[in-house]
Amino acid sequence: MAVSLRSIQNATIVVVLLAIPVVLLRNTAENPHELSAFDRSVRRIGAPLEAAVSYSTSTMGSFFERWLMQARLQDSNEQLASENRELAQRLRELAELAEENTQLRRALQMRDRTPADMIPAERVGVDQSPFFRVLNIRIDRGSRFAKPGMAVLSPDGVVGRVDKVFDDYSDVMLVTDARSKIAVEVARSRAQGILHGDSEYGCIVDVPKDYEVEPGELIQTSGVDELFPKGHPIGRVVDVEQLVGDQQRLHVKPEIRFDRVDVMWVVLAGAPRPDTAEPPVGPQAMGLQPVR
Amino acid sequence: MIRALTYLVVGWVLIAVGGGLADVFMITVMLPATSVVLLTHIAFSRTMPLPMGLALAVSFGYLEDLHQGAPVGVLTLAFALAFLALSWAAERIAVSGWPTRMLTAFFSVVLVDLLTAGILVALADPLGLRREAMWVALWDARWHCIATALVAPPIWTLFERLFSLLKIEEPRTPDGPSPLGARR
Repeated sequence: MAVSLRSIQNATIVVVLLAIPVVLLRNTAENPHELSAFDRSVRRIGAPLEAAVSYSTSTMGSFFERWLMQARLQDSNEQLASENRELAQRLRELAELAEENTQLRRALQMRDRTPADMIPAERVGVDQSPFFRVLNIRIDRGSRFAKPGMAVLSPDGVVGRVDKVFDDYSDVMLVTDARSKIAVEVARSRAQGILHGDSEYGCIVDVPKDYEVEPGELIQTSGVDELFPKGHPIGRVVDVEQLVGDQQRLHVKPEIRFDRVDVMWVVLAGAPRPDTAEPPVGPQAMGLQPVR
Repeated sequence: MIRALTYLVVGWVLIAVGGGLADVFMITVMLPATSVVLLTHIAFSRTMPLPMGLALAVSFGYLEDLHQGAPVGVLTLAFALAFLALSWAAERIAVSGWPTRMLTAFFSVVLVDLLTAGILVALADPLGLRREAMWVALWDARWHCIATALVAPPIWTLFERLFSLLKIEEPRTPDGPSPLGARR
């Protein structure tokens, strides 16, 4: 078998190369804790490379870490903002419910205080002036229950009277309407008069000069007209104008904010009991009298 | 020669990068042996004569010794012996496709770890090591083998692209030069 020179050379190199680790191991076994001069040289040569790699990887690592953190913060921020919107919406709904609850409680309290037969009504619409002042209120009681002229009250005060009646709803003429007339009295002195609507802002009532009236005094229904129950508040005197003769004119500002009235009561007083053989249905079953 | 130099430089960088990344990202799992993948690549690409490949194996083993803090010479010898075995295997087995590369790298690193453990056990007394600790370390080396197998395909592809870029890729044919330098 012929052996080439090249094979001999290669075999020699292989043996020499295999001898290197053996020599290294021998040196290490003799002195395991010390690096040789050659080892230190190699480490010195490799140190800048390792330092550069370490610096690059740490820079890259900190960049990615920061980027990841920012991405997480952004996700968290969006999630919190979404939750915040939902909670704010829920808070608004709760505030509305609380306000509605308060109004209903006050309406029920008023119902207990007032002896007249009344039927609750809810506001379903308003007519407003171009400046958003309420001119007219529409309630969800139609011709089956309401009748023109019936009084409409709220827990805070008199709203007005039923004006036009339709099948399913009615328009309420506010106390501030120029056509409105209500029998009233000054709560303290019992001076009586007829309250007229004056403007969108208030009403006027003329009373004899014999009664001393001061601004801030309460004006309430007198019950003389047999439409409004006696003693229901209407507003407070804001100005007293002395007229020629024996009368003085009181300018009254209504107690209630018409744009905030949601629940009202329609006074059914004076409505006759229906003469029918059929059993009552709807509000009649609750003892309420429909208007004919 | 350029090919060998490329192996050496990039291999050194990979060894340093592995350690650096592990330090930066606080990786506590067993790291892959990129140099063993290179060793496998050198052996199975069959584009280099055996003495040159063995010199590279000795160099990688020596660098690993220094980086891992192992007794100098242990990994050097293990790498050299493993390379001889891989070169012998490369005469008989062709490696193509990433599953085979992964498998080859896996068996290569198993071989290196077994050789390392064998050398350490044999030289436990002069090096002042406890033999029981060697067996525990050898069992933990299974993660080392899996990690190495996982990084084998990308490193393999990296070197193929690199050599193609540097225009030092040599055609790999069954009739290529034998690593052992023997005539067919």
